Amino acid sequence: MSRILVLGTSSGAGKTTFCAMLCRYLARRGLDPVPFKGLNLSLNSYATADGGEIGIGQAFQAWSAGLEPETDMNPVLLKPSGGGVIQLVLNGRPSQDVSESKPMDRKGALEEAAQAFGRLSERHGFVVCEGSGSPVELNIMDGDVANVGLMRRLGVPAILVGDIERGGVFAAVYGTWRLIPDDVRPLLKGFVINRFRGDASILGDGIRRIEELTGMRCLGVLPYMDLRFPEEDSLSDSSGRLEGGDVRSAFMANVDELTDNAERSGFDFESLIKFADE
Amino acid sequence: MDCIKKKVNEELKAGWIGPNRSCDYHPSHFEGQDCTFCYCPFYPCEDTDLGDFIVGRRGNRIWNCSDCLFIHRTPVVKFVLSEIERLGITEAGDPRFPDVLASAKERFYRPGRALMVVGATSDAGKSVTVAAICRILHRRGFLVAPFKSQNMSLNSKVTRSGSEIAMIQTLQAKAAGLKNPDAHMNPILLKPKGDTTSQVMVLGQPYGDYNVTDYYGKFVPGPGREIVRENVDFLKGRYDFVIMEGAGSPAEINIYDRDIANMGAAVIADADVVLVVNVEWGGSFAYALGTIELIPEEDRKRIKGVIFNNLRGKADSFRSAIPEFERISGVPVIGVVPHADVVLPSEDSEALRGIRGKGEGRCLVGVVKFPRIANFTDLDPLFLEDVSVVFVEKASDLDGVDAVVLPGTKNTINDLRWMDERGISDRLRELRGKVPIVGICGGYQMMGTTLDDSQGIEGGVKDCVAKGLGFFDNVTTFGEYSKRIVNNTAEMLVGEGGEVTGYELHMGVTDVHEKPLFRMTNRFGPDAGEEEGSVREDEMLFGTYQHGIFDKMPFRKYFLSFVSHDGKRPDTSDVRDYDDIIEENIDRLADVFEENLDIPALLGILGVSE
Repeated sequence: MSRILVLGTSSGAGKTTFCAMLCRYLARRGLDPVPFKGLNLSLNSYATADGGEIGIGQAFQAWSAGLEPETDMNPVLLKPSGGGVIQLVLNGRPSQDVSESKPMDRKGALEEAAQAFGRLSERHGFVVCEGSGSPVELNIMDGDVANVGLMRRLGVPAILVGDIERGGVFAAVYGTWRLIPDDVRPLLKGFVINRFRGDASILGDGIRRIEELTGMRCLGVLPYMDLRFPEEDSLSDSSGRLEGGDVRSAFMANVDELTDNAERSGFDFESLIKFADE
Repeated sequence: MDCIKKKVNEELKAGWIGPNRSCDYHPSHFEGQDCTFCYCPFYPCEDTDLGDFIVGRRGNRIWNCSDCLFIHRTPVVKFVLSEIERLGITEAGDPRFPDVLASAKERFYRPGRALMVVGATSDAGKSVTVAAICRILHRRGFLVAPFKSQNMSLNSKVTRSGSEIAMIQTLQAKAAGLKNPDAHMNPILLKPKGDTTSQVMVLGQPYGDYNVTDYYGKFVPGPGREIVRENVDFLKGRYDFVIMEGAGSPAEINIYDRDIANMGAAVIADADVVLVVNVEWGGSFAYALGTIELIPEEDRKRIKGVIFNNLRGKADSFRSAIPEFERISGVPVIGVVPHADVVLPSEDSEALRGIRGKGEGRCLVGVVKFPRIANFTDLDPLFLEDVSVVFVEKASDLDGVDAVVLPGTKNTINDLRWMDERGISDRLRELRGKVPIVGICGGYQMMGTTLDDSQGIEGGVKDCVAKGLGFFDNVTTFGEYSKRIVNNTAEMLVGEGGEVTGYELHMGVTDVHEKPLFRMTNRFGPDAGEEEGSVREDEMLFGTYQHGIFDKMPFRKYFLSFVSHDGKRPDTSDVRDYDDIIEENIDRLADVFEENLDIPALLGILGVSE
């Protein structure tokens, strides 16, 4: 069974869209992908066929993979309900309200995530896992579920997506690699530079330097596309650009275009697939 | 010279007067300046630390010290007065004045120190951090200048001497209490012309067009570095501190040795560096550490502190990780600054989307967002009023608007074509007479009948004569002519009258056949007494070349008096001058930084103990 964890250097780095694109690509190759996000903090949820609730991002990723959304794809969902209270949704069902004074059982959440991951990997060929936020928030790294938590618990190999649009992408990739705990750092295999405008050849020296410093491989520089995924991430301020009634089909057309663009840009899917088998 | 002598004699008799707040021209240099020697007793000192020779109108050499602030510092003034008394000097032109200047210089003249603020990303909060530090130091009585070696922005302002610099440096200069921001504060301004080419302005004047490759390959290693050095040295020679702003991230290792906007400039200025990181998007520890560690060691040692900026929510959890970050990075964290809810002009047109007006904002103002929109801070004061703003990028965006603004543009001809192609022009013609429409600069040119660019100056295509919106019977012709005038004052010839201020910055001359909006009242300059702008009140059409026209209350209030939604007008009962609002917000911003920065640590980096 193949599996890869897609981490971001920040919120809004493009993890969700990248995972959707990857699902699409792997589905075209017949590798039977399935999306997964261990823990999702999202205001927008999607109701699965069996009446469960998951983050909207996983629903779109599921369609990209040619699947129907199901609760295992996002076993832990946190829905901010205002006033510092967050509703915890476990395996698609509301479980309890959590807050600062009544924190979530993070160990338990990680266990739920690991079990859902296990169930998906029994039925599918390739689990495309999405991380949450940045994996190296020093203040909350210990209780992490979707990033370092998953890497530790299941040994999932990971790649990093960095957003070049705001600048500082080399620092972001290098800094994330430096701050990730020693025990899971060997699982960081590669990185992706996302949302680039212009001629990618000017990045060459910088990319080589990061490869030398970290041992990670640059899988590609993805061109900027003026489309955004309907945002699930409450911390991201980008607005979805999908208009019109049939959001799903509009999104699917976009994912196809994204995937074509990634292939055209020479994205190194082969290395990614190799990492996923390690 | 006799006139100056007479004035100096009067000054010697009057003795110390400190800041002369009753003077019409006060402060001519900076807030808190000493006006005892409005006319310098040392003139012409011919000391190149303080001034330089320029060529006068008749080809003669003139000693120019208009940028010298030395004689406006109170300690200098008091020392000079005491020396004059001690030596028994009573007359201007006394041969002992040069000695007095020499001893004053020995005592008080010190080259300033530079501090550079770099950001881990764009929008890290560099600009506001520089503004806050400028104000914090200004409050402590220091003379401070902002500096950004290279700024890419379409939002520029004109300085007193007619140079063009980025708007944000003029705001920072204001935070520093300076009256006259000048081109030294932003010697290189890049104005993007398309995706790959920028117009490079040097010291506020057009220098040439460069694409990315040529800019880094030719301009930077050629004149670029020297321009940075000359200008930062100029400012260090006149101010206690130069607070420099970086551009983008300083750790773009693919162009590191060609970067004269970040660490390259810090090296030239021998500046210590503070790194600002925006916490909002997450990953801030990684961005901070990665930035620090990717900078080569010899430059890295300049980084003396990290500021985590724009933290929303509770700081306790975030702060708990700081000791570990400091241990790993070896750089002290000198502040965790919460998100500051302040209203300041935005450097970025996108940032406008976030701004909300006051009141209920039922009246909808449509701002046509030209692809090459320029000087959009013109509109900031309007956004603070009881209106809502919608950006118009297609004809249907005009549905339901109660007023329309056609702002400035970097390219009138191409943006008019853009508007035509999108059907916006036709929709505007339908709206004529139904809602008020105001055009500023490029937008004003478009409101005429004809835009004659037969030489291809503006649009780059010869024989182009474009049809305007036809709202005014005006014809604009583009030739070699360009105009840049700063500090315009004008009286309104409409409404209740009143004085407005503005500046002009454009190509093209407009032949006006309409009732004017303003009469220029500039104290200096060739335009005094001239009429400006066009107005058709019955059709609610307004046009002017003056940027910044909404800053002062009279025109804003006048324009808003034509705006209504379902018969209800926006509340204009407490319309204020924009300058006052900005001043207030700079203070609020500085307060937030004062509260959350380790001020002794910051001053320590600057070599000051409080």
